[in-house]
Amino acid sequence: MDNSGKEKEAIQLMADADKKVKSSGSFLGGMFGGGHHKVEEACEMYCRAANMFKMVKNWSASGNAFCKAARLHMQLQNKHDCATSFIDAGNAYKKADPNEAIKCLNAAIDIYTDMGRFTIAAKHHISIAEIYEAELVDIEKAVAHYEQAADYYKGEESNSSANKCLLKVGAYCAQLEQYQKAIEIYEQVGANTMDNPLLKYSAKEYFFKAALCHFIVDELNAKIAVEKYEEMFPAFSDSRECKLLKKLLEAHEEQNSDAFTEAVKEFDSISRLDQWHTTLLLRIKKTIQGEEGDLK
Amino acid sequence: MSSDFETYEQDFGTITAEVTNKIGRIPKLSGEEKTQLVLNVDKQLEEVRELLEQMDLEVREIPVQSRAMYNSRLKSYKQEMEKLEKDFKRSRIAYSDEVRNELLGDDAISSEGQLIKLREERAHLLDNTEKLERSSRRLEAGYQIAVETEQVGQEILSNLHTDREKIQRARERLRETDANLGKSSRILTGMLRRIIQNRVLIFVLGAVILLTIILAIYLNLRGH
Repeated sequence: MDNSGKEKEAIQLMADADKKVKSSGSFLGGMFGGGHHKVEEACEMYCRAANMFKMVKNWSASGNAFCKAARLHMQLQNKHDCATSFIDAGNAYKKADPNEAIKCLNAAIDIYTDMGRFTIAAKHHISIAEIYEAELVDIEKAVAHYEQAADYYKGEESNSSANKCLLKVGAYCAQLEQYQKAIEIYEQVGANTMDNPLLKYSAKEYFFKAALCHFIVDELNAKIAVEKYEEMFPAFSDSRECKLLKKLLEAHEEQNSDAFTEAVKEFDSISRLDQWHTTLLLRIKKTIQGEEGDLK
Repeated sequence: MSSDFETYEQDFGTITAEVTNKIGRIPKLSGEEKTQLVLNVDKQLEEVRELLEQMDLEVREIPVQSRAMYNSRLKSYKQEMEKLEKDFKRSRIAYSDEVRNELLGDDAISSEGQLIKLREERAHLLDNTEKLERSSRRLEAGYQIAVETEQVGQEILSNLHTDREKIQRARERLRETDANLGKSSRILTGMLRRIIQNRVLIFVLGAVILLTIILAIYLNLRGH
């Protein structure tokens, strides 16, 4: 009961605000100071209406109201408020219509980059990328947005957040078989994190991923790469990942898929391999078996 | 004379029996006892030989008719003695089963006990193997947990790093805002001063104009 009441109230508010806007436009009221006042009032009413829609969980109506508010703010040259309203609209649309959400978020990002607030713009790029990942499953666009976010973060010297985005980019690139790019990214991230005392324990993970990507491309590359990493980062050679890599290299040389499987099983028994690793290792294994098939 | 012969025969019988007995015992013994026994048997064999010689002489004194019987007996006794000597010689170097048993210990005797012992040992060993396996399984589990902990630690560290950067940025922005606020407060004070100045000016000008008007009216009235 309360909800439907709220909803009616919200719709009423929207209608009122619409009238106000129209009235302020048609009259010469725009010439007087009073015109601005009206538009501001209408803005406020739109926001209230949108919040009420949110309470009722009517996401698309809420998003709509926020969008209108944002446009009014634009008229009033309140960039900050405009962007905030667009973000609110985007959040509301996230739950209902992803495409609209992306449009709103893009508009907000434009405003923020205009103002020079790249950090926030980057954060919203990540939100967009997440929507592409989850709802629309458009991996390429998601990768593009993640990359953009990483660039902005790098510009703002937030290397940690930049690394986070780059890692996602790398993971998806490898899945999409853009191995060269993935290799570059992982090597870069690994080299960056090696020195940082907080992050050096994760560095070996990154080198492992880079080596796997090398492996898929070409076995010789992988060998050279592993040696290079060991040189760069001595702790890497002690890790179980490095030992696994060496075993896999051997198995690949001998074209022995059983030894390969065994080495992988042994590693898995201690610490489970996640989806990404499993996929890549499977691809490598197929190359072994594929070559065996050719020989036969 | 034949009675002598018979006495000799009886003696022969007893001594050979003894000798046989002793010969049977020799292989079982060793060392001192063996040498003693061997000497004994030697002496007794000497006695037996003397007996045989005497029996021989006796037989020669017997008239030719009954000699054949005694001769054959004598021959059999001689053969027996030779056999005894052979046995004696052999016994000094022979092995007997008992010696073998002694060498190999009580194992051959208690084979039953042996099996039981073996079974016990086997159970014991299996127990040990199980214990070892259990401990190695526990170690593996411990290692797994350690690896998981390391991974969790990695994540936490990277989160901390991100947060650190955020906090640093926020601090910078805060300082900027602080500086801006200071600037704006200075501008406002400046504005306030200007306003006061303007107001003072207006009052002064107003006063001047009023004075001028009053002066003008006064001069006008004077002029009339």
